[in-house]
Amino acid sequence: MSRNTAIKVTNLTHTVTSNTGDLTILKGINMEIKESESVAIVGASGSGKSTLLGLLAGLDVNTSGEIVLYGNPFSSQTEEQRALARGQYVGFVFQSFHLLPSLQAIENVMLPAELKGDKKARQKAEALLEKVGLSHRLTHYPNQLSGGEQQRVAIARAFASDPKVLFADEPTGNLDEDNGNLIIKLLFELNQSQGTTLVMVTHDNDLAKMCDRQLIMSSGQLTEKSL
Amino acid sequence: MSFTYRLMLRDLRSGDLLTLLLALIISVSTVTSIGLFIDRLQLSFEQESANLLAADRLIRSDDAIPNIWQTKADDLGLKHAQRTSFTTMMFAGDSLQLSQLSAVSEGYPLKGAYLIDDTLFGTGSASTGMPVQGEIWVSSRLASLLNVTIGDQIEVGDVTLTVMKYLVRDPGSSTSAFAISPRAVMNMVDLAATNVIIPGSRVRYSLLLAGEKSILDQYEAWVMPQLNEGQRWQTPTQRGERIGDTIGRAESFLLLAGTLAVVMSGVAMALASARFVKRHLMQVAILKTLGATPQLLGKMFLQQLLTLFVAGAVIGLVIGWGIQEIIASLLSGLMSTTLPEPSVSRLWLGATTGLISMLVFCLPLISHLTKISPLSVLQPNAKVELNTFVIYLIGFIGLYGLMCVYTNGFLLPSIMTAAIFGIALLVAGMGWLAFKLGRSLTSGATSGWQIGLASLYRRLVPNLFQLLVFTLIIMLTLILIGVKSSLIADWQQQLPENAPNHYLFNVQANQIEQINNETHKLNVQTSDWFPMVRGRVTAANGVTVQSLYPDDKGEPELYERELNLTWSDTLGKGNELVSGDFSAQGLSIEQRVAKEAKLTLGDQLTLNIGGNIMTLPITSVRTVDWGSMQPNFYLILPKSALENYPANFVSSLFIDDASAQPFYKAMSQFPTVSILNVGDILKQIQSIIGQLSQAIQLVLFCILSAGALVLLASVRSTLEERLEEGALLRVLGAKSSLVRQALFVEFGALGFFSGLIAAIGAEMCLYGLQVFVFNADASFHPLLWLFGPLIGVCVISTIGIFASRTVLKVPPMLLLRGL
Ligand SMILES: Nc1ncnc2c1ncn2[C@@H]1O[C@H](COP(=O)(O)OP(=O)(O)O)[C@@H](O)[C@H]1O
Ligand SMILES: [Mg+2]
Repeated sequence: MSRNTAIKVTNLTHTVTSNTGDLTILKGINMEIKESESVAIVGASGSGKSTLLGLLAGLDVNTSGEIVLYGNPFSSQTEEQRALARGQYVGFVFQSFHLLPSLQAIENVMLPAELKGDKKARQKAEALLEKVGLSHRLTHYPNQLSGGEQQRVAIARAFASDPKVLFADEPTGNLDEDNGNLIIKLLFELNQSQGTTLVMVTHDNDLAKMCDRQLIMSSGQLTEKSL
Repeated sequence: MSFTYRLMLRDLRSGDLLTLLLALIISVSTVTSIGLFIDRLQLSFEQESANLLAADRLIRSDDAIPNIWQTKADDLGLKHAQRTSFTTMMFAGDSLQLSQLSAVSEGYPLKGAYLIDDTLFGTGSASTGMPVQGEIWVSSRLASLLNVTIGDQIEVGDVTLTVMKYLVRDPGSSTSAFAISPRAVMNMVDLAATNVIIPGSRVRYSLLLAGEKSILDQYEAWVMPQLNEGQRWQTPTQRGERIGDTIGRAESFLLLAGTLAVVMSGVAMALASARFVKRHLMQVAILKTLGATPQLLGKMFLQQLLTLFVAGAVIGLVIGWGIQEIIASLLSGLMSTTLPEPSVSRLWLGATTGLISMLVFCLPLISHLTKISPLSVLQPNAKVELNTFVIYLIGFIGLYGLMCVYTNGFLLPSIMTAAIFGIALLVAGMGWLAFKLGRSLTSGATSGWQIGLASLYRRLVPNLFQLLVFTLIIMLTLILIGVKSSLIADWQQQLPENAPNHYLFNVQANQIEQINNETHKLNVQTSDWFPMVRGRVTAANGVTVQSLYPDDKGEPELYERELNLTWSDTLGKGNELVSGDFSAQGLSIEQRVAKEAKLTLGDQLTLNIGGNIMTLPITSVRTVDWGSMQPNFYLILPKSALENYPANFVSSLFIDDASAQPFYKAMSQFPTVSILNVGDILKQIQSIIGQLSQAIQLVLFCILSAGALVLLASVRSTLEERLEEGALLRVLGAKSSLVRQALFVEFGALGFFSGLIAAIGAEMCLYGLQVFVFNADASFHPLLWLFGPLIGVCVISTIGIFASRTVLKVPPMLLLRGL
């Protein structure tokens, strides 16, 4: 089976400045992710998984090396171009949900479509919230929702822009088991039904095993877990 | 509706935009109301001055006014009138008298009004008209001298005129220059037939003009090059004497208040902007994650800010206008005429203040917002570095500029800026020490008292910043209260009850005794009698006045007109020696005119007194309390210099309403003595002072309310963090009473320190303001030191507890989740 490349990473290095001086989080990473693949990134806490995921999604610029997502060479693009690429190709689900507290659930989900000037934003959002089982919670504010419900809203929002790649950073990390399972079910369902590439950071071994591939992050390096 | 506005409406619903909108409204309305009010006061003052000139502009000439000047005024649509004044002999029956006569043309006076009466020596009421053909209005003094009453005839040259009114005051004569000679006014149409003006007569011609300032300026530019030596362009004097001083100080106060309002609104805007940006940090990061480009975000925020600005400015302007109307209606009786409508063009001031402080504080933050990478916001370990120092610096420069525009100068803003920087340093130093001390006193935090003090040090930087805001607001309050009370006390002191309300002058030495007897009978107290001789300064240090001021431009008052001179061995009441020796055989000069004419001790002045020339050195400088209503003099000569000149005497006295009529009757024995009744003017001044005091109180109240709102905004801006901590404590089992106690201690301590530092700062600023701005004596204000900390503790802990009241009742879980 030969599929198109979704993401290609060459010699990725990333250094940040912190209070205690420069800190190199990622040290020469090479990898390739194919279209509609599901990939799990595992590793110890603080090993740089979130940083890598953020860079892959174009949320920040890496120090050196090259990331190309669907033909977008992020590090040589302007923020303007990266933003457009994100809007077109990327969906992101955070560990701590990151819904906008001042917006109702439906409004949070409408955002991506609204940004693109889509007139049907509301219908689309309603449909997505129905898919994640929250059609009775449309006008609730995030602080009126449970953690599991908030994450389901976040997933609906991530899929609202019909992303080619969905990034999920420990999507179940803040949830109990039942809610976690529900979220995982949703993610994989949507991944399959829409043919989305799924890149997920997780601590959960069972979850990791459900993915096509597992990558292990350790001391700034990424290695493939042989199956 | 576009995405921008939908997002904005949603933000508005959640209250995030409300703080900014509120700050904007406060800022625009305070600045607008005070700006408009000051404008009205200034306009009304200009009007008063125009009344003194009887016109907006005047050309004085020794020759007849060329016809073309009037044609030009007609062409431009300016109102104009003429006045021709000269000294002439008048006849009535057997009496004859040399007197000062003015002939005025239709429309005179263009500004102000004649004060006339039907009874001899009456106090007069304003007349809208002027003498018609065949009429003459004469001063009571002239009527006495000519022995005529209303209805009698007076011959002026070849014309016979009928006395119709007693003239009390000309609109064109300033109150400061006593018109000593008998006066009369007639209509210009009768003038030619009199044949009294012959070539060589000393006549003063005046062309009076009134109209729009821009047109007057245009006229001025046209006429100026045509003026010859004997012609002069006059504008209303900017400052009359007593009223001018009072109003001038009130203006300074209002200006100061306005400047403080600008600072306060700046602080409010800074806080609100910071909060706005903080609340939008996450929104921006998420929108970016979802594909929003920096350009889109920038455009979006700009659009939101502008919309917010328009809304805030409109509401603020309306409120500001309303407040200003209320202030003005309290002053409705001010200055006999009604307060003129404020110029709508002044509205821009409030709006610009709002716009600039919003842009200056929001834009740098927002441009930064659109640039930061979303990961650095969403990654919990990364700190978002907002370069607040640069932002506040830019903001401060913007505020400084605004203050300069506002006060139309650099002095006040510079004093304020220096004070604010000084205070910031003081706050940083003292606050750090105090917080550290507070913490070391409270190891092992178990009581609310200890938790409260400890948390002051834990969040050092935000707390220091908050301390600065509190301190500034309390300090501004204390300064305003201090200035206000000393201003009002000063005014009241200036015009004591029973201040003299009549002047007697032209009294001969041999009449003094008799007049004293009369006043004694009526139980009326006269001031000392001052001998008075008229004279003119002709040269300073040997250089003639004509060559010092060849085109009469900027000629100081001292040289401009004939002066009343006196001699005295002792420094009179209300006079205070500034430098030199009063008993020396030289001139004693009043400080202000000396300054204006650039004269100091040792300069030689040449005087022409009745044709005799004498030169004397200046040997002392004194200040004069013009409010004392004593006869006061610019120049006092040594006795030896004036002794031999024929002098007449002047005195002032207080006459209550009951003794006025008998006094006037008694004085009719002395027809040559002039009585000047300044009682009405005094009453007017007193009512102006009363009303200005009220206005100032009201302005103060407005500013203090604005200040309280700013404090509230400031408390709210850090409340979330404090509450988060409080919620944590409660989750850990603390009772909400403990949390409340801790909050109370924290705010109370902040309030105490800010009150204390504010007292220090206010004392220093008051010193600077009193000495440099109000030109008053510096004084110490012990009450500040009591009220500063007291206000601080009470107000800030009340506001703090009030702001956190509802949230303290909410279950901690909900709080933690909502934040
Ligand atoms: N912007 C940043 N500034 C400072 N330190 C950072 C920043 N981003 C990440 N780090 C640090 O880099 C390390 C890796 O972070 P992260 O990618 O979140 O790891 P993980 O997701 O695997 O737990 C952590 O120690 C974190 O504190
Ligand atoms: Mg992580």
